[in-house]
Amino acid sequence: MGDPNLLMTPAAPLDPITLAVVKSALDAIVDEMAYTVIRTARSEIVKDVMDYSAALCDAGGRMVAQAKTIAQHLGAVPDAMATVLRLFHDDLHPGDALIMNDPYEGGMHLPDVFMFLPVFVETRLEGFAVVIAHQTDMGGRVAGSNASDSTEIYQEGLRIPVVKLYERGVPSRSVLRIIEKNVRVPDRVLGDLGAQYAACRVGEREYLKLLGRYGEATVRVYVDALLDYAERLTRNEIRTWPRGRYTFTDYLDSDGLSDDPVPLTVAITVHEDGHLTCDYTGSSLQVRAALNSTLSFTKSCTYLSVRSVLRQDAPNNAGVFRCIDVVAPEGTILNPRLPGACAARALTGYRLLDVMLGALAQIVPDRVPAAGEGGNTVLSIGGYRPDGRPFVIVDMICGAWGARPDKDGIEAITNPSQNMSNTPVEVLEAQHPIRIDEYALVPDSCGAGRWRGGLGLARQYTLLNAEASLQLRSDRMRFPPWGLAGGRPARPTRNVLNPAGEARAMPAKFFHLLRAGETIRHEQAGGGGFGDPLARDPGLVAADARNEKIALEYARREHGVVLDPVTLKVDADATRRLREVRS
Amino acid sequence: MTSIATATGVRVGVDIGGTFTDLVVARSDGRLLVSKVPSTPDDPGAAVVAGLADLLGRASIAPRDVIEVVHGTTIASNAILQKRGARTGLLTTRGFRDVLEIGRIRTPDLYDLAWDKPVPLVERRWRLEVDERIGADGAVVRPLDPATVVAAADRLVAEGVDVVAICFINSYLNPVHERRAQELLRARFPALEVTASCDVLPEIKEYERTSTTVVNAYLLPIMRRYLEALTAGLARIGIAAPLLVIASNGGVVSARAAARRPVFCVGSGPAAGVAGAARLGTVAGARDLIAFDMGGTTAKASLVERGRVSLTSEYEFREGMSTPSRFIKAGGYMLKVPAIDVAEVGAGAGSIAWIDAGGLLRVGPESAGAVPGPACYGQGGERPTVTDANVVLGFLNPSWLAGGELPLHAARAREAIRTHVAAPLGLSLLEAAHGIRQVANANMARAIRSVTIERGRDPRDYTLVAFGGSGPVHAVDVARVLEIRRALVPVLPGVFTAVGMLASDVEHHVVRAHASPLAALDAAAVGTLVAALLEEGRATLHAEGYDDAGIRLELQADLRYVGQGAELTIPFAGDRLDADGVETLRRAFREEYAATYGYATDEDLELVNVRLVATGRRPSRLDFRALDVTTTPAGPTHRPVAFDRGGGLVNTPVLGREAVGPAPRRGPLILESYDSTIVVPPGAAVATDPCGDLVLTLDA
Repeated sequence: MGDPNLLMTPAAPLDPITLAVVKSALDAIVDEMAYTVIRTARSEIVKDVMDYSAALCDAGGRMVAQAKTIAQHLGAVPDAMATVLRLFHDDLHPGDALIMNDPYEGGMHLPDVFMFLPVFVETRLEGFAVVIAHQTDMGGRVAGSNASDSTEIYQEGLRIPVVKLYERGVPSRSVLRIIEKNVRVPDRVLGDLGAQYAACRVGEREYLKLLGRYGEATVRVYVDALLDYAERLTRNEIRTWPRGRYTFTDYLDSDGLSDDPVPLTVAITVHEDGHLTCDYTGSSLQVRAALNSTLSFTKSCTYLSVRSVLRQDAPNNAGVFRCIDVVAPEGTILNPRLPGACAARALTGYRLLDVMLGALAQIVPDRVPAAGEGGNTVLSIGGYRPDGRPFVIVDMICGAWGARPDKDGIEAITNPSQNMSNTPVEVLEAQHPIRIDEYALVPDSCGAGRWRGGLGLARQYTLLNAEASLQLRSDRMRFPPWGLAGGRPARPTRNVLNPAGEARAMPAKFFHLLRAGETIRHEQAGGGGFGDPLARDPGLVAADARNEKIALEYARREHGVVLDPVTLKVDADATRRLREVRS
Repeated sequence: MTSIATATGVRVGVDIGGTFTDLVVARSDGRLLVSKVPSTPDDPGAAVVAGLADLLGRASIAPRDVIEVVHGTTIASNAILQKRGARTGLLTTRGFRDVLEIGRIRTPDLYDLAWDKPVPLVERRWRLEVDERIGADGAVVRPLDPATVVAAADRLVAEGVDVVAICFINSYLNPVHERRAQELLRARFPALEVTASCDVLPEIKEYERTSTTVVNAYLLPIMRRYLEALTAGLARIGIAAPLLVIASNGGVVSARAAARRPVFCVGSGPAAGVAGAARLGTVAGARDLIAFDMGGTTAKASLVERGRVSLTSEYEFREGMSTPSRFIKAGGYMLKVPAIDVAEVGAGAGSIAWIDAGGLLRVGPESAGAVPGPACYGQGGERPTVTDANVVLGFLNPSWLAGGELPLHAARAREAIRTHVAAPLGLSLLEAAHGIRQVANANMARAIRSVTIERGRDPRDYTLVAFGGSGPVHAVDVARVLEIRRALVPVLPGVFTAVGMLASDVEHHVVRAHASPLAALDAAAVGTLVAALLEEGRATLHAEGYDDAGIRLELQADLRYVGQGAELTIPFAGDRLDADGVETLRRAFREEYAATYGYATDEDLELVNVRLVATGRRPSRLDFRALDVTTTPAGPTHRPVAFDRGGGLVNTPVLGREAVGPAPRRGPLILESYDSTIVVPPGAAVATDPCGDLVLTLDA
């Protein structure tokens, strides 16, 4: 039940109805921007995988709405906006559009190019339309600019500080030419920049209409109120959590250059006034390889982890961020120094979610699932066709959710840090010299429990070109997704080169020069289980066996359930006996 | 079939909804008879047959004079929602058994770890792989192994599967393996129903194609049984006329076609109203309009331009869609079939108002439904709904619902709003009721935004055509949110969907893929393709009884910048694409692109598909000019109405709809009619047009 005081700021009582209408209008605008990107983009990574996001900020750079796109981008907008305002606050004009991708100026990694379009009413700056898109390639030593084995940001590609791509409505040929000459697939990159611009223009047009309808001053007041509203929703809920300090540690397998596990540690403190401190002190020092997560990205992943366990549906705006303090010492993997490489930082972000959920499971155990697959696997294949034309495939594979406290996990699902889609097999094959041999669930890959985790996914590729570079980034080979409350871990990740021939086991992260006809198979980890596997309803075990999601042997080994090998029906007596022995 | 051109008999339109089945009988003199009967969800045809027998009997119309029965049905959509379709099996290429279950990976919302993915319509154990492979160039990479097909079929049949769908990778380029597998299955199990993706949707993207094919298979038996039963039921009462079904694209198809490809009729219900609105708009001089249909649980919006409905080539069918965020691909069953582009929001007359934990007023998506219904129904509903707000504000008659059959309890509406909204927010009763109405209006406006602004269309350029039982209650206020200046309320808005069915044309959509950069277009090849398309369209309509005079053929090109994934559909004239034609197309694309996205470049374009819309104009279809409806005039009276927040109660004249004529009358006014209430606030005027529709004009 609502408390009337929640809606009233001390200064002026607000109209709750206008507040609701303005909120709905802002949500609609960012959705329209997001839809525009899909309709106008050129690359699979944007138009099919949907690795992009759209937001609106006010004139002070505070994010007031974000579309339902990539959650990991959520908290990075404020730091990037801060750089724009710091450098350009007295040099923004109607018709300008700025871009940047520098992780050390508030960006995330080089492929994520931010675009900011300042929105003016006459000469007054009223806000920004912002679109972030993962570009297919930004140059550097490996196609896709995603390599996890780079050791300096200078190897990773073109680093763009905040610059104007449009100045008073005129596109900058200089900037466009620099980009064109530095990326492997300029048509796609410039085309996707066009999609970002189209979406920003749509956002500008619609935001101006909103300002025109209610007046700029009124919208400003209600934007303030919406930020306060999101903060209140968040704070009120955190206040109900048990106060204390909760810690959890999880690991990345390695940075790929050495064999050392990379620990991530968090200590969450729940404060009385409803705010949280998330302190990552004790996490690994900055690593040599490209797994370093800039502070803005670390904050982003922290915010989304907390949001994932909140019951309340707060608006996607900066008000939520006010309740969450992030501490990450400089020089660590979660707040690197220049020239630390960052291209594969998403992986660190995924593990950060796991670490946060591990700690949150101690605070709100009824709402936190066991660990999921551990993040997207990114596979980049690039080369030149016989006629000299380049091709770059950036394919992402995901994923499985861990079991929930009251139900199974989910298979074939985006990591909660993202909201990505997949590239259709037929689209990949039509565009690139590649054949997909399999795209399927991996039986037995789930962590067992009273509720089981989701199954992992397999995707297998055969090269149809003379040769191509293959860069594969995966994880969870040594530290499989964990279970909760007695649930078992999931099966770890596997990479296999030429499974029908030499069947060479490959590490989690590697580079390989693929030859024509060579095949790479990736089997992703599944999701962890929740609760005692021997307490699982044998009927559910039998149903999974009938659907060939688990084998007969798995049912016996993990759940103590004996199934008739022909009918796959539960042998109740044998099951009872087996479970008695086991427990 | 010659009867189509010469018909003068009685025609019947039927809209089968969840609660009521609406029946409209149109006599050849234009007189309409209307009946609303309770639906019979277990056997939807039963209500139709009984209701129709009764209606015809009362009007002394001989069943043999009925020349056609057109109907919109939710049988297909309900079968999916309630998982009552066939036991369906699926044959796939080896390695791709899970395409259907994997889907497109996304979730409809962020930050919801309790979400559940929809259960696939075919369980994994009934999705079996066969050895075969077609390459990305259409060539056979691995020949089909018949033994694997037979083994899979044997296993499926042994498990009691009734229908088998077939979808192989890259079959859109070369259907040879799907066809062969189909033959093998039919030869071995003649009773088994088989549906191959190359016959349903020969287009790229394996998940979308598999899902569409599976839905078709899943619906085959239930749709066929339903249509057979309805045809037999109609025959029992002496109606031998053809039974037609509204397809998702708003056109009508024969019952036989619908039984063969039911996936094309999943959106049958909502499509009919939009198609009717398009036809009505053409007659009423409003060719650019927004169809706005507000019912009990949802409101729907759809755009009509130059008299044509807007089509989408894919949509996701799901329950409880509460946002028109159409870029979200998740949470439903993907159907890649032409459908009228309808945006739907969970805001209807029965939507419940509530306060969230942050103190914000929300309306919907939860609905009180027909039972218990709004608090004012007095059937046990205690939570306030949009209808309750309308009663409290005086928009709705406080004593009875339109039609007069259901008594209302205004005191219960007041109590519900006071307890659940006014008190917690510290507002007066009237302020709270206004708030509910205003939030509902904003939600409904969002549906309209998504079919206009998201497409680069300015809603102010359109007329709002409002129907559904509650559409006319909210039309003017929703129009105001979007600065729309003109609204139109048809005769019989409450059963307009059934009326609109009698106005649909027969429409066939034919698509041919032709991927080519526009700069390198082979004019001769396109010419051959266009000629074949035109021939196919003409032949199909001839076979259905239309002569050339009643046929309209329109060509369209799907174009995009090279590398994009979404196209704009641009009409083109003529049957050739020479250099001039290509230049015209290019210009038209850039204009449309700039209008939609705010910029356009001179980059290369590519042609993706050539489309034909072949329309057979039914000479006997409803002409709205001839409508003649008898209703019971409501006596002139007054009641206090709170139009504006803070404006207090205004004693407002309440008239029967018949009291309004061609001369404009200014609001405030409330008009009560047989099946709806029309609200004319201050600052608006109302008049009838020559068809008898009410035209509402809003002051700037």
